[in-house]
Amino acid sequence: MALLPHPSMILVRMILLFVVVRLVFSMTLVAAPPTGVAPFLGENCKQCHNATDMAGGLDIDALDWAIESQENRQRWIRIHDRVVRGEMPPESTLKDSELGPIAQTLRNSLHSEISERQDRDGRTSFRRLNRREFENSLHDLLGIDTPLQHLLPEDGRASGYDTVSEGLRISGLQLEKYLEVIELALDDCVRLTEAPEVFQKRLRYHDEKGVRENLDKAEGVVDPVSGEKHRQLFRQTEDAIVFISHGYSPDDLRQFSPPANGLYRIRASAYAVDTRQETVALKVYSSDWKTSRMLRYFELREGTPRIVEFTTRLTTNDHLRFTGYGIGIDSQGKSVWNVETVKDWKVPGMALEWVEIDGPLVEQWPPESVLRVFGDSSVRKLKQRGSWTKNGHVAYALEPENPKSESHDALYRFAQRAFRRPIQEGEADRFIALAHAELDSGRSYEQAMRVALRSILISPKFLMLEETPGKLDDYALASRLSYCFWSSPPDDELLDLAKSGKLSEADVLRAQVDRLLDSPRSQEFIVSFAGQWLDLFQIDATTPDAKLYPEYDDLLRDSMVAETQSFLRELLQKNLPIDAIIDSDFVMIDRRLAEHYGLLDEFHNSDSNLYGEEIRRVQLPQGSPRGGIMTHASVLKVTANGTVTSPVLRGAWILRRLIGRPPSPPPPVNSIEPDTRGATTIREQLSKHRDSETCNRCHREIDPPGFALESFDVIGGFRETYRSVGEGTPPTYKLHGRDIWEYKLGKPVDPSGQTSDGIAFSNIETYRSILLRDQAQISRSLVEQFATYATGAAISFADREQVDRIVADVQASGGGIRTLVHRVVASKLFTNK
Amino acid sequence: MNYPKGVFRADRRTFLKASGVGLALPILDAFLPKGVRAAQERIPQRLVCICTTLGLHAPFLFPESGGSAFEMTPYLKILDSHRGDFTLINGISHPDQSGADGHSSSMTWLTAARHPGLAGFRNSISIDQWLASKIGLETRFPSLQLSTDGSSQSYTSSGIMIPGEQSPSRMFTKLFLEGTVEAKEAQIQKLREGKSIMDTVREETRQFQNQIGKEDRKKLEEYLHSVREMEQRLSSAEAWVHKPKPKVDAEVPQDIKESKDLIGQMQLLFELIPLALQTDSTRLITVMVQGRNDVPPIPGVSIDHHNLSHHGQDSQKIEQLRLIEEAQIHAFDKLLAALNRKQEGASRLLDSTTVFFGSNLGNANSHDTKNIPLLLAGGRFRHGQHLILDRDKNTPFCNLFVQIAQQMGHELDQFGSSSGSGVQGLEYRST
Repeated sequence: MALLPHPSMILVRMILLFVVVRLVFSMTLVAAPPTGVAPFLGENCKQCHNATDMAGGLDIDALDWAIESQENRQRWIRIHDRVVRGEMPPESTLKDSELGPIAQTLRNSLHSEISERQDRDGRTSFRRLNRREFENSLHDLLGIDTPLQHLLPEDGRASGYDTVSEGLRISGLQLEKYLEVIELALDDCVRLTEAPEVFQKRLRYHDEKGVRENLDKAEGVVDPVSGEKHRQLFRQTEDAIVFISHGYSPDDLRQFSPPANGLYRIRASAYAVDTRQETVALKVYSSDWKTSRMLRYFELREGTPRIVEFTTRLTTNDHLRFTGYGIGIDSQGKSVWNVETVKDWKVPGMALEWVEIDGPLVEQWPPESVLRVFGDSSVRKLKQRGSWTKNGHVAYALEPENPKSESHDALYRFAQRAFRRPIQEGEADRFIALAHAELDSGRSYEQAMRVALRSILISPKFLMLEETPGKLDDYALASRLSYCFWSSPPDDELLDLAKSGKLSEADVLRAQVDRLLDSPRSQEFIVSFAGQWLDLFQIDATTPDAKLYPEYDDLLRDSMVAETQSFLRELLQKNLPIDAIIDSDFVMIDRRLAEHYGLLDEFHNSDSNLYGEEIRRVQLPQGSPRGGIMTHASVLKVTANGTVTSPVLRGAWILRRLIGRPPSPPPPVNSIEPDTRGATTIREQLSKHRDSETCNRCHREIDPPGFALESFDVIGGFRETYRSVGEGTPPTYKLHGRDIWEYKLGKPVDPSGQTSDGIAFSNIETYRSILLRDQAQISRSLVEQFATYATGAAISFADREQVDRIVADVQASGGGIRTLVHRVVASKLFTNK
Repeated sequence: MNYPKGVFRADRRTFLKASGVGLALPILDAFLPKGVRAAQERIPQRLVCICTTLGLHAPFLFPESGGSAFEMTPYLKILDSHRGDFTLINGISHPDQSGADGHSSSMTWLTAARHPGLAGFRNSISIDQWLASKIGLETRFPSLQLSTDGSSQSYTSSGIMIPGEQSPSRMFTKLFLEGTVEAKEAQIQKLREGKSIMDTVREETRQFQNQIGKEDRKKLEEYLHSVREMEQRLSSAEAWVHKPKPKVDAEVPQDIKESKDLIGQMQLLFELIPLALQTDSTRLITVMVQGRNDVPPIPGVSIDHHNLSHHGQDSQKIEQLRLIEEAQIHAFDKLLAALNRKQEGASRLLDSTTVFFGSNLGNANSHDTKNIPLLLAGGRFRHGQHLILDRDKNTPFCNLFVQIAQQMGHELDQFGSSSGSGVQGLEYRST
């Protein structure tokens, strides 16, 4: 009954509703754009952008000039951009002089609104560490190397990067996970067991039980259970065990089981036999008996032993596996299962002489980090060994003479490191008080300290990069630099420079950027920047169809990613011109990619001292379709779906990532249905799309780069015909010496097209030269991508002037990619909040 | 618009109804048949949302004819014995789901946030989490996230994904096994520590907050809000730690060792659902079925699942895809059978459990997000039909969310991109 009001009340409420609705509407709609803008829009845009047609979802009359709201700002910026670039109105005949209301009036209003905002609050708001940075920070602070980031929720990515403040949200769940992960990290830091026993031995596969059993049994003996004849899967020589079978071999190294979690140094000596000029390699895996992870891959030379060495982290559940690549198939295509005897059988094999293992590599025990975190005088050796834990018997205790003063000092020091700056008097008091309260309630020094350490590591001063509006102070600058280039907290050198107030001096800053980039730790930057800018993190999003792409495997996948990372490093290291992004006369490839790209001759002529898996700079021959980032197999793979390519997706990707002119999101019309039966090509399907005026308005911008890239298949191989599972002719070339039966060659590829302003191109080479006509735009796009990643905020309308200035400076100075990085770092985008 | 909440809204509905305006109206308890109302007081209402992220091949799922006389397609045949207990909805989807890549819409299946992954994208709360915030602490677990790959469909109010539990044995342990006395004590100690840590950082943040600008303050407020959420979690965990866990007549499941065995994992996770619901350990469960790049061990399948979904009309691939999808529907059939078997008073567990099984992709071959496959079963709905809606102008999926929330007894007018409070043709059963 309570739900039914009296009828008269209904009328009163109706009137009330009416009034309120009127009020709300009139308040928001009266805000009018600056003088001149509305008449311009009325004259030039309203014909299509009105309440009935709503072209592109836009109705000029419903536009709201309340640019305090981000949504409205975005809409007005888009109008500005489309008009100023001449994209709107369609087939515009407007002269520059007629664009004043938009190009000046609207621009100025937007600019001043946004720059005022930025001056007051900064371009970016407090940003929390993403999970990669969080892990690295804990590693630095606690002296551990346990992988942690996979235990945290995935970070949001705003404007394409997981370093952008806007996407890095926080929630109760996030805090809960932080606490769990910090607890695990502390477990790993507080190592109070006996020093781990060290394994240090040279091992031989001759002594492996499984190998012995296989070799000690005569060939041809019939197994009573399976009825199968015994095969020898290895051959024993004086110095080595030769692996001559791939798969199903007892290749686990059971003589070694890691005595403790930690870092191990592994050395091995191996060579190839009977290669027939094909590649033979040694692959090393670690396995916990459930999943196997490839650690390294080394190509071998025939007859000459190669000594390889690397370090890797292993846990007590892991063991190593050594195996061969490119072995076990003879010139007739037979494997060990198809031959009567392996004696005198000519087959490529991998000869493994010995394996040496040393580890865990420990410098000091208990680890120095325990002393650093808990205080030098807090560790005491127990007289008798204590209880058993999974890491061994407890042998030490954290028992300082004066727990309160020790925890006071230790926490003060720790907070200072965790907050990446000197702390003020009393700033650590809350954490210290927390530890003391725990001590007072009878808990041990370790327990009390751990509670306080957890609260430091979950406090906003650790989790967030603290920056105040205006010019960054030197400590904030130090953090920006180190999280940008190393994804890690600032090191002592940066902090010392911040302390002396010198870091923001132009030449010091420049030298530090060089130091950070030249350090191997900058691989963090290369991996995560390229991982997001060029979508390398998506490399496994699809697996290429095994029938259509039988040549694809994990090694090729790894090489693809490594190519793009090495290319970026080469550009940075050598300060190469920005055009290299679009076109370069070299590639950075290993042997596998050389084969994939058809560049084996050039590869072998490049640097004969290197082994095949080592990436090197290879000069491209005349007429090669490769060069620049667009033709990297990695990029071509992440822009395809494993089965077919789409010029639309690739085109949109190139516009967004390389050219910096992102297209609007696609409208909700049915996309094209991929078809691999060979009767129709993607271009034939697309042409229908492009015949429609509404579709073509965007597609004439989007599709051209995609058309040019049609010459490359889903794994980045060059093609002149589409591969098909239905219609077509069998290929005449061979794959690793065998005929191809999996796919046919279907319809021819047409990589030609014309750009939206009517310039025709016949293939990727001619398309590249068109792109290079506007080098400033390529440069601008890179500045925007890098600055977004480095500063934690997208490039705003008001930032554009600065971006243009950087672009002009780089061009004027004749500098390259590294110059560009320096200019961004020296600009207010980076040095101000 | 700041109206006094609740009062005005309730009146508006009655007003609209009285004035004869033809809108789909939210169902309020007052309007429910008497029997349903009485039953609802005793039996809690539940929701289970299952998403298989690589789609279901539409020609094998959707029949030609609509209504209750629809013919059985290959996939529907598997569910034959539940014909009267499900509705196949055809012509529903979230608008604006084109995103960063073809699979981005798997982030927004229960949230409806637009253009997932593109510039300016921010995920929003998922419908199960909205419901969880209403149900509150009545159950030990406000909601459960099950998953074959560790991700989930559930997102918090700040748009953060709640990780999914992959291990059926771990989930079973959490739900039904009592820890040792020491483990419990350690847990209580941890909760107590958690509270003092939260106290400390809250004070820390307050002091810090005085010195900063507006945008930064928003970030710190979000942090403080998270601290409050965390404190609530700790208090509720504390309240439950002393209560004994329910006993069930089932053994701890053996986790599937082979990570490729999508179907095996799915079945084990599904077996937990009736147990968790009937013991009222939770009322909300989301399940993420995600195979991606593995070849599931099903006889006749030799190509990985993701690749098969991009079949490119290759008939061999479509046949293999069918084997995987049929196996998934068999798992769903078993789940329905279990919910059907379990009795709660005079009714079946299925009668108080709304469960839907579908995908974020309508056509995985082209990454099309329209016309998603959606099988809706149980709850208070009248089933037994193939409900054909407009396949060109799809009904917003959120309309169904609103209707489900309402039939569970929660007041909700609008969610995500809903354009109305129900799906036309989807009605309530009489009792």
